[in-house]
Amino acid sequence: MSSLRIAGGRIIDPANGVDDRVGDLWIEDGRIVAAPADPDARADRTIDARGYVVMPGGVDVHSHIAGSKVNAARIMRPEERRGEDRVMRRWRGFRSGTIGSVPSSFTTGYQYAGLGYTTAVDAAIPPLGARHAHAEFGDVPLVDKAMLVLMGNNHAILDALREDDPARVQRTVAWLLDSAKGFGVKAVNPGGVEQWKQGGGRIAGWDDRVDHFDVSPRQIVVALAKAVDALGLPHPLHLHGLNLGLPGNWTHALEGMKALDGHRVHLAHVQFHSYGGTPEDPGGIDAQVGPLADYVNTHAGITVDVGQVMFGDTTSMTADGPTGHYLANLLGRKWYNHDVEQEDGCGVSPIEYQDKNFIHGLQWAIGLEWFLRVEDPWRVAMSTDHPNGASFRSYPDVIALLMDKNLRDESLARLPEKVRTRSALGDLSREYSLAEIAIVTRAGPARILGLLHKGHLGPGADGDVTIYAPDDDRRRMFALPRWVIKGGEVVVDDGELRSAPIGSTLFTELEVDAATRSEMGRKLAAEASFHPSSFGLGLDDMAEPRAVSRPTPG
Amino acid sequence: MPNGLISRKSIHDDAASGSSTSYTCTHCGCLCDDLELVLSEGRVVEARSACETARPRLVGLSTTPAASPSPRVQGREVGREQAVTEAARILAGSRAALVMGFRRSTNETVRTGVALADRIGATIEVGDEAASWPRLAAMQRVGSVGATLGEVKNRADVVVFWCADPMTTNPRHGERYSADVEGRFVPEGRSGRRVVVVDERPTATAGGADVFLKVRPEAELNVLLVLRALVREVPVDAHRVEEATGCSLADLQGLAELLQGARYGAWFSGGLAGRGPIAEAESRHQTVTGLIRELNRKTRFVAVGLGEAGNSHGAESVLAWQSGFAPGVDFGVGFPESLPGESTAAGRLARGEFDAAILVGGPAYDALPEGSRARLATRPWIFLGDRDHEAFELATIALPSATAGIDEAGTFTRVDGVSLPVRALRPASSPTEGEWIDALMEAVGLSGRDAGAPGSEAGR
Repeated sequence: MSSLRIAGGRIIDPANGVDDRVGDLWIEDGRIVAAPADPDARADRTIDARGYVVMPGGVDVHSHIAGSKVNAARIMRPEERRGEDRVMRRWRGFRSGTIGSVPSSFTTGYQYAGLGYTTAVDAAIPPLGARHAHAEFGDVPLVDKAMLVLMGNNHAILDALREDDPARVQRTVAWLLDSAKGFGVKAVNPGGVEQWKQGGGRIAGWDDRVDHFDVSPRQIVVALAKAVDALGLPHPLHLHGLNLGLPGNWTHALEGMKALDGHRVHLAHVQFHSYGGTPEDPGGIDAQVGPLADYVNTHAGITVDVGQVMFGDTTSMTADGPTGHYLANLLGRKWYNHDVEQEDGCGVSPIEYQDKNFIHGLQWAIGLEWFLRVEDPWRVAMSTDHPNGASFRSYPDVIALLMDKNLRDESLARLPEKVRTRSALGDLSREYSLAEIAIVTRAGPARILGLLHKGHLGPGADGDVTIYAPDDDRRRMFALPRWVIKGGEVVVDDGELRSAPIGSTLFTELEVDAATRSEMGRKLAAEASFHPSSFGLGLDDMAEPRAVSRPTPG
Repeated sequence: MPNGLISRKSIHDDAASGSSTSYTCTHCGCLCDDLELVLSEGRVVEARSACETARPRLVGLSTTPAASPSPRVQGREVGREQAVTEAARILAGSRAALVMGFRRSTNETVRTGVALADRIGATIEVGDEAASWPRLAAMQRVGSVGATLGEVKNRADVVVFWCADPMTTNPRHGERYSADVEGRFVPEGRSGRRVVVVDERPTATAGGADVFLKVRPEAELNVLLVLRALVREVPVDAHRVEEATGCSLADLQGLAELLQGARYGAWFSGGLAGRGPIAEAESRHQTVTGLIRELNRKTRFVAVGLGEAGNSHGAESVLAWQSGFAPGVDFGVGFPESLPGESTAAGRLARGEFDAAILVGGPAYDALPEGSRARLATRPWIFLGDRDHEAFELATIALPSATAGIDEAGTFTRVDGVSLPVRALRPASSPTEGEWIDALMEAVGLSGRDAGAPGSEAGR
């Protein structure tokens, strides 16, 4: 038994209705516990947190931190990991590493923890890539990890849909998730990646048909959302819709939300889906957050993460192969592409977001509009779609912008004039409170993910706690937490790593019967380049596996 | 379908005599995981689905453990603990150690190997570095455009073998992944595909091709450049093209048209992207990617390596995720640095710029040029590998290790990035390479090297 008392801090725990209340927090054996009845009870260690702000550890609902495309980005971009300020030195028992926009594995964990984040979800792992991604998770310390498994272009799913067999769709979802030891279900450009791999015309609308399979993106996402709900998965269908990044795509985003009416859905990096104008006239692009946010505000089943763009050099990476191809050609930069059999695609390219560039400036403004226009902070999560919009390391900068209208105005004033006319950001006066920041960076994402033991400080929650020194400079406050505690252990103390437990891998436990396994195995065998017995993963292929209980549906 | 737990199990765990069981072969880059080994009376008696290259290496293998060999320190047999202590002393005292090899090591072993290199500030190089450096240097310039092999199987209606002869080197490539196999969008198999072989002379693979184009090795790069220009529709001069390539412009135009006419094309080449000068390997890789990218403006096309024996690609991947670089990293200054052609372990070994070395696996020693072997003999060095390998007798300290796919299970990664479980045939009689490295890590402790400049702020 080890115990920790965090004494006298200003506790901000929105999930439990606690907003800036001075009190003690007790952690025993890695979990938050009620304060002991005995007023003289002593903990093994006490942190004097008087004057400090105490929040749950951060939770990232959408990030790209492991697996083959992340690793390809590392290999392809040595230029952004050379030089003293882009590395972490070997220190004591901790590992050295490189940073850039896609940090190496240990560094990823250290950097997340350094910001007070203790949970991160990789949002796009193909089932066939799960073995690699889980191995990498084993080298990402300090954060609990989980993966969303790509299914929107999966042949087994598309076949079941073509044959109009929803029960088989559901069995397939369960089997894929179990085989990959994944946490949730992701769809990326549903049907559109398959269509591109076939060399067919682009899928541009929800009712376009995917050749050969004769299904539409609408059918795919509705079937997946139904299956996710029927299986009672903790996290709703996680959707990257159609036409990412293209002018005029806001109408498709709206139509996608309407198509899923009545289902739970999480829209990923919604900033990239909120553009006005038309593909024929890209110069006519403008912000169309208003109507989309209005729809979210009036429909309870929808949540979003933003995919905020910040200025600087980063790397775009997506399972949306055709978009990766488009972007690489648009930018004229080097291009990594990797088609994954039966499942999905992958595109990686360097990108620099420049504040002199009108489109980039507009993207920045659109992201901020999303944070400010979604009325209920529980339904909008902090993300840069790391590393797509920017590295997760820029979260403190985003927080500072959300909390300070003046800072936004100063930044906006430096951007091209057209950004101010094509976006209403300048008119939005809302400023986030500390409690609202706590919601969008931890309490909300945990709730969106369905992680009952994360994002709050009530008894039973994981002992993941971040303690900040209050500071009018919000960027500095959130960039350098005073202490970070993971599972009851102090892991960062005044900017220094103290220990680096590996953290758990969260997954959804599903029962898949033997008949389904053999049915799916047979289908897989016909098409795969590997033996079906090589496909499914077991618990000993994972780092510290931890099954997440499924909440009762409804 | 068995669950994933098989990945850690050995075949012997569930194989009664006379039974058959599935096995992943590591003898070429195909990494076929559909072999069935039939075991009887403590031996492998048949390897179903194995090619003629692999079968003789599998049939006859014992499925019972051999006697446990002892480690050696300067030729003397010693206990394991003493060997680790002596090896750790060498490593802890080194200022410029080399860590090399991992050509046939599991990904799990490489994870520990990189940790050790980081701890002692060594220069590490993994896998088949001579082929990896030019390929990765090209990727760093222009990227790469690839796919998993199942995409080729199911979609490719045009398959190109560029200066390679898989019928000889990767015998089951065609039946499993490329030329002959039936796929979802190529239900006819071989007759649904156009197969092109470009090579210096007719080979076994060329014998079965629809199109064969003869190209001299020294003209390979020029041929690639011209093909790219043709796909790009850049006007070219017929005479100059023939001069530079030794091929007629009409032949090259025909090939360019065939490539552009693919619905989904697949381009295969060996590790050096041809048989031409090694100094041009990087340029060849780069130009292949340029050509494939150009083709993707008009259709779908991918380039995939044929793959090499063992687990070079897995080793590379692990080093990259832990450090950010592949296939070689210098940890000497306390953080990872990597510069193709500059900071390579093989180069330092050849020049004698090291004070200790660890070689992991016999194949690493086999690949060393004479001069490097001579350099090695002048410094203390540690060998992890098979007792029967010649390096075992030569090393300062030799640590007998299990062999992946024989008496060690784990994960290998195919040339297309797909990670597959590799199973053991028999219980291990020696520790695995990873277990030795873990023991070395522990013995080296933190005293080894602490580059610990203060101010390594976690969040900055």
